[in-house]
Amino acid sequence: MLASYLVFDFFNYPAFWVVAATIALVAFFSGRYLQNRESRVKFLIEQANLKTRQIAELEKINKELETKNRDLYSKDLALTMANKRLQSLEEAKSKFVSVTTHQLRTPLAAIKWIFDLAAKGQLGVVSDDFKKSMEQGLISTNRVITIVNDLLKVDSIEEEQVDYKFQPADLSKLLEETLQEFTSQARMKKIELALEKPKTPIPFIDMDYNKIRMVIENLIDNAIKYTPQDGRVTIKLSDERLNTAEGAVQISVADSGIGIPSADTSKIFQKFFRAGNAIKAEPNGSGLGLFIARDIIEKHNGTIWFENKPAGGAAFSFTLPLHQKKV
Amino acid sequence: MDKKKIIIVEDDEFLRSLSAKKLEDEGYQIIVATDGQSAIDLIPKELPNLIFLDLLLPGVDGFEVLKQIKANEQTKNIPVVVFSNLGQEEDIKKAKDLGANDFLVKANFTLDDVVAKIKEILK
Repeated sequence: MLASYLVFDFFNYPAFWVVAATIALVAFFSGRYLQNRESRVKFLIEQANLKTRQIAELEKINKELETKNRDLYSKDLALTMANKRLQSLEEAKSKFVSVTTHQLRTPLAAIKWIFDLAAKGQLGVVSDDFKKSMEQGLISTNRVITIVNDLLKVDSIEEEQVDYKFQPADLSKLLEETLQEFTSQARMKKIELALEKPKTPIPFIDMDYNKIRMVIENLIDNAIKYTPQDGRVTIKLSDERLNTAEGAVQISVADSGIGIPSADTSKIFQKFFRAGNAIKAEPNGSGLGLFIARDIIEKHNGTIWFENKPAGGAAFSFTLPLHQKKV
Repeated sequence: MDKKKIIIVEDDEFLRSLSAKKLEDEGYQIIVATDGQSAIDLIPKELPNLIFLDLLLPGVDGFEVLKQIKANEQTKNIPVVVFSNLGQEEDIKKAKDLGANDFLVKANFTLDDVVAKIKEILK
């Protein structure tokens, strides 16, 4: 009875509920809290581990980057040094070529004079055989002089010393004049030298007269040199203003000569390069003429190229824009 | 008739003696100078009819000799033929601007060419 009363009483006593509910709540929440705390700690530890791993990873990447940077820096340094060295080598080479070629001219002049005087019998009476030998000596000396002069031209081109003086000039007259220079050389080999011009005269063209003359001389000289007797060399001037973007004329020098071997076609404009058959036909060239020609034409914003003709022989052509942009 | 007088300014002994001999044979009176300074000293004293001048000389160079000749009232009208190793356009222009009558690049000319050139100027 008492017990049931007590029980009853407890249940009917509001304070009991309050206490019980509080206990239950405290128990419930502290459980939750503990559980939460545990997972939070776990989470934090995981996070910390992750961070540590990430930091380690980053440090590793950083180190790699540093090494790579150092590598790059030292490579950059090496390249800069190599470049400087190349530059000074180039300068040394240029100076060497310039000094030696200039200095060569004095003794070459002396040799040339002596051969010339001896060949003409001005140093005393000599036999015909002796004269012939002296003439051969003179020819060889002149070849050396040509090479020396070509080397100087190349040297000045590479140093960009060459001042181009663009002035409107009569290209068709220039072609006629240049052709005149070669008439006796062509006659000696019985080569027919012809000039074809458009019916309507072309206007004056902005150019460096002497440089363009040098190019035309070189092309005609080559054409005659590499064409056997009874051959033909044709110089053609054509108005290509309607067919070219820049409004240009075209000059072609075509011959019936030995042509250019297909193995050599890519190198024909390179410095010092001479095609195999050219060396056989003319052992004493410098391999600089076409290199110089290309440089001059490119400085005129033109293009130079060649084709082997199906019928035999080669044709070198170049374009010259009518006008040069004012710099 | 008095012989015409030519001063040869050239430091290369062989070229100098060859050209001197050749020009003497042609009937000219020849005086030689082997460097720039002696040329500058000799020319106003000798007052030649023509000066045959190398450009690359020991000490005072040919450009300077040319300048001095042209700056002197007495000598400025004497024709000057430059004969040099140099031959780049700017060298030729420089010499001509300084008053050279002609510019011959060594090795490109024979002695006969040189004589012909001199004769033409002294005609």
